[in-house]
Amino acid sequence: MLHTLSSIFLFLFQETTSGRVSFIDAAKHPDLSKFLVIGALLFIIGVAGVLTRRNIIVIFMSIELILNAANLNFIAFSRFLQESGNPNALAGQVFTVFVIVVAAAEAAIGLGIVIALYRNKETIWIDEIDLLKW
Amino acid sequence: MTLSGSEAVIFWIFALAAIFAGLFTVMARNAVHSALFLISSLLSVAALFVLLGAEFIAGVQILVYVGGVMVLFLFVIMLVNVSAEEDGREEIFNKPRQVGASLIFCLLLVGGLLYGVSRGAPVLQSRIPKPENAEIQQTEANDQLAKSGTGTSRITADTQQIGGTLYRYASLPFEIASVLLLVAIIGSVMLARTLRQERSVDDLAPEVVEEEIGRDPELASVEVIGSE
Amino acid sequence: MYKYIWLVPLLPLAGAAVNGFFGRRFRFSEQLIGGIAIGSVALAFLISAAAVISYGFGSHDGWPNPYLTSKDGFSFNWIPGGAVAINQGAEARQSIEAVKKANEKLALMSPEEREKATAVSVLTAGETPQTVLLNIEWSYQLDPLSSIFMLIVTGVGLCIFIFATGYMHGDAGFYRFFAYMGLFMFAMLVLVMGSNFLMMFVGWEGVGLCSYLLIGYYFDRQEAANASRKAFITNRVGDFGFALAIFGIIATFGSAQYTDVVNQAKEYPIELLGNWGILSWIALGLFIGACGKSAQLPLHVWLPDAMAGPTPVSALIHAATMVTAGLYMVTRTNVIFQHSQTMMLVVALVGAATAIFAATIGITQNDIKKVLAYSTVSQLGFMFMACGVGAFVIGIFHVMTHAFFKALMFLGAGSVIHGMHHEQDMRRMGGLKKYMPYTYWTFFAGWLAICGIIPFSGFWSKDEILWKAADSSHIPFGWLVWLVGTIAATCTAFYMTRLMAMTFWGKERFLEHQAGGEADEAHASEFDKGLGQHDALKPSAGDRPRHQVGEHVGLVDEHSSHHGGRVVHRPHESPKAMWLPLVVLAILATIGGFVGVGPAFRFITGSEHPGGKLNIVTWLSPVVWNPVTREFGEGESGGHEATAPATESHTAAPEHPTATGPYGDVGFVLTRAVEGATHSPLLTEWLFIILSLVVAGIGMGLGWLFYVKDTRLPDIWAARLRPLYNASYHKYWVDEFYGWAITRRTMDLARAVYAFDSRIVDGIVNGLAKLSQLSSRIVGGFDMYFIDGLVNTIAAFIARLMSPLLRAAQTGFTQNYALVMVLGLMIAVAIFFAADFVKP
Repeated sequence: MLHTLSSIFLFLFQETTSGRVSFIDAAKHPDLSKFLVIGALLFIIGVAGVLTRRNIIVIFMSIELILNAANLNFIAFSRFLQESGNPNALAGQVFTVFVIVVAAAEAAIGLGIVIALYRNKETIWIDEIDLLKW
Repeated sequence: MTLSGSEAVIFWIFALAAIFAGLFTVMARNAVHSALFLISSLLSVAALFVLLGAEFIAGVQILVYVGGVMVLFLFVIMLVNVSAEEDGREEIFNKPRQVGASLIFCLLLVGGLLYGVSRGAPVLQSRIPKPENAEIQQTEANDQLAKSGTGTSRITADTQQIGGTLYRYASLPFEIASVLLLVAIIGSVMLARTLRQERSVDDLAPEVVEEEIGRDPELASVEVIGSE
Repeated sequence: MYKYIWLVPLLPLAGAAVNGFFGRRFRFSEQLIGGIAIGSVALAFLISAAAVISYGFGSHDGWPNPYLTSKDGFSFNWIPGGAVAINQGAEARQSIEAVKKANEKLALMSPEEREKATAVSVLTAGETPQTVLLNIEWSYQLDPLSSIFMLIVTGVGLCIFIFATGYMHGDAGFYRFFAYMGLFMFAMLVLVMGSNFLMMFVGWEGVGLCSYLLIGYYFDRQEAANASRKAFITNRVGDFGFALAIFGIIATFGSAQYTDVVNQAKEYPIELLGNWGILSWIALGLFIGACGKSAQLPLHVWLPDAMAGPTPVSALIHAATMVTAGLYMVTRTNVIFQHSQTMMLVVALVGAATAIFAATIGITQNDIKKVLAYSTVSQLGFMFMACGVGAFVIGIFHVMTHAFFKALMFLGAGSVIHGMHHEQDMRRMGGLKKYMPYTYWTFFAGWLAICGIIPFSGFWSKDEILWKAADSSHIPFGWLVWLVGTIAATCTAFYMTRLMAMTFWGKERFLEHQAGGEADEAHASEFDKGLGQHDALKPSAGDRPRHQVGEHVGLVDEHSSHHGGRVVHRPHESPKAMWLPLVVLAILATIGGFVGVGPAFRFITGSEHPGGKLNIVTWLSPVVWNPVTREFGEGESGGHEATAPATESHTAAPEHPTATGPYGDVGFVLTRAVEGATHSPLLTEWLFIILSLVVAGIGMGLGWLFYVKDTRLPDIWAARLRPLYNASYHKYWVDEFYGWAITRRTMDLARAVYAFDSRIVDGIVNGLAKLSQLSSRIVGGFDMYFIDGLVNTIAAFIARLMSPLLRAAQTGFTQNYALVMVLGLMIAVAIFFAADFVKP
């Protein structure tokens, strides 16, 4: 268990040329893994927000967070691949464009639904909208 | 792509800003606060994009995401979200059971994700230059870029490359995305119509009209376009 | 010419078919129907007369051999050979054949060789009995016996047909009547002309059927319906015996053809009194059939009731033809009867008993037709008496003469009834002599004939019967038969004189007595129901003689509206169609007996049986088997010749003049006793003749005394002999006895069987049904409560268990669904990295 826990935080440590594993150096020289971690954390925050908040708008905003985290991931890998010399490296950035497009469309539609829902139900609390309840 | 020096500092600043902004987004009582925190998170992420050399995407993020989507969000917040919340009487979080379950799941999930990252970290580190060499390599890479007009900074070719890729290799998805946007436009207009608007273009079923007139008598006086 | 006898049955059948099928449809007039019927019968008579003449007296005469139409190809292969194989009786047949051959061989040897000959072996070893293939054909036989019957049936039948056209005039069922009569003629002719026993049986049944149809001609009269049923059923009882006898004949002789049977049967040994063999069994069966058909005791009960049919029917069927079928059959099989002394005795005794029984009943009857019916039964008894004592020819002779005078008297009675407006009760007749002369004088001739007055026909036959009975060497107790016959003859004379007196002589009682009482044959179904006088007022569903509406039956009409009271119609003579046949028959009754002038008159005629082939004895002798010579023919001569060793015999035993014949010692023989006293056969015979004339005269005299001279005497004597009178008047209660013993017991049996069936059998079935119902209800209950309960409980349990659980998943809370998605995502990630944590 401890081994598993410790294996989660491996990204915090970086190996130097002298073979020494250092935390400071990792911090001084953030690389791809740090970006991925940031993305993961943002993702989780967004998921938590989706699951815990009662306000529909805030839930939508949490969803934007999630998408944003995904975007960060894409860009990070795109840069990494660029530096690795992969000819398809820019695919990440192109994909990010599309994610943004979809996010925008989805936000528009979603908020339209929210407005229609608000007109019918006069509420923005999601736990009050339980028509599917048995 | 190991960052170093000032870039590392900027990284850490914006990274932490993004995380905390996201956290406050989720935890803010006021929806407007939430929106603003989201904006700041998005801006931080845009900065991170710049650090990663995806300037175009950063710009797109700010322009479209923040400038368009978040403005939309703010509009809608204004439309629907006025009174009660500001008083602080309403609960903003779900029932504890739901929240507890969510947090547990999220913790597990983040554990998994981090584990995944950690698993690849040693391999990754073997591919990237060591920290000592990182800055040197970065400087060398930067020097290969074109100089700007003033000569003090370098210009990346990110936008050009994205444009070329987008229009050459991703033209079909591009077109589909445009269709998607079209659908979104139409859909959002249709979804947000009022009853009166729907009645005036005769888009309501008769029994629905009857029912709604019972609730809102003024609906009956709406003139239907196209019927004399 | 006699080749065409096959036409004789067909012609009446054709006439009947035409009348029956088309008579109503095409509305034939009475003349047409009558013409067809009479024409067909007349033609049949002419053909049969021509055939008989050419057979007996023609240039290529066939007499005395029987002629079969199959010789000229007019036969139909009815049951072809090979259809049935008879192997019963083969051994007996073969042994007889062997014995016959041995005897022939023996006869050819000289006396010395005869003594040396060893016993004849019956069957050589290893020889298997041969089977015979039964071959029955439909062909007609013309021989002396059938020729007589053909002439009687068609000739007397013709007279009766002519009479019937007058009698049945106005009846709506005229066509039906003549159709049935024609059918009857056909059946009777098949019976007498058939060449084998099966054809005889067909005819037998056919006449039984026609009797049923004709007795029940007025089918909506209860009395007629009952009578026709009674006739048929009683007949059927006899037919049962007859059928068994036929089976026995086929089994024993292997064939049903007369020629085969009689030629085989004559080889069999005689079964004396006390020995009862196969031939006795056959004879018994045959005699039972004859009893049924010819109304002998105890099966006589149908004949008096059969008078419910129209009078021509009574004349034809129940006087002249059908009832004589039994006589025909007995004479045809006289070989078999003569082989069984026991059966001969039975026949004679039954005949005698019947004769006296019926005669005593006839004394007290008031219905004219009933008197004649009992007279018929009695005369049939006489005929069987004749057959029983071995005088088969005389029996047939009496059949002939009886046909003449009885048909005459029946038709005369019909004429009387017709003239009296359908009154049948003699107590309301009287003095009809001057109203109906033709009827009277013809009836007079018949009366004299039946009483046996010389030279009328009845005398010749009856006297010969009595002589033969007294002279019998076939059976013991011949003297008893003679005595009973004589007493019966006295009674016959008495009641016939009574009939004459009450009907034709004396006071005209119809002027005083009103009609009513017994209903006549044709009228008053109302009377049957006891609703009123017999009255032709209401037409009924059946065919009825057409009378005026309101016209009364009988002569006195007290309820007639005009003349203010009683109207008396006078009796009238019948039309010519009716009295003409009477005249013909009267002539026959007068002179018909001369064909049988007996040996007693040999001093006048010069021969025992004068007339050559015209003498009936001579004519019929080829048919009768002589037990002495063991051959057919020439044996039935007068009483003396049987005792004289005049004929040769093939048997070795010598004959003594008074020795016992083939029947052994028969005990006391009356004629021999008398002859012993008078020492003159001729005188003995004439003594008997005079005796029978005297008793006839006594009977007639008594009748005159009682019914003409002093009419109080019947009542006085009836009172004095009250028990006897009652017994006679109630016909010895035979019908009541049968009803109690047979009919009611059969109904009881039927009720018992019905009760058994309805209670026990149905009870079992119903019980099983109830059991099934019960079990089904139990199973149903089990299924409903237990099984369904189980199912319902389990289902409810599952529903109660699972439903909340499954329902709980549908919260309607969006974030729950999102949580589930995250859960899925988590699991995906875990799976992705699961490999790391699984220990290798």
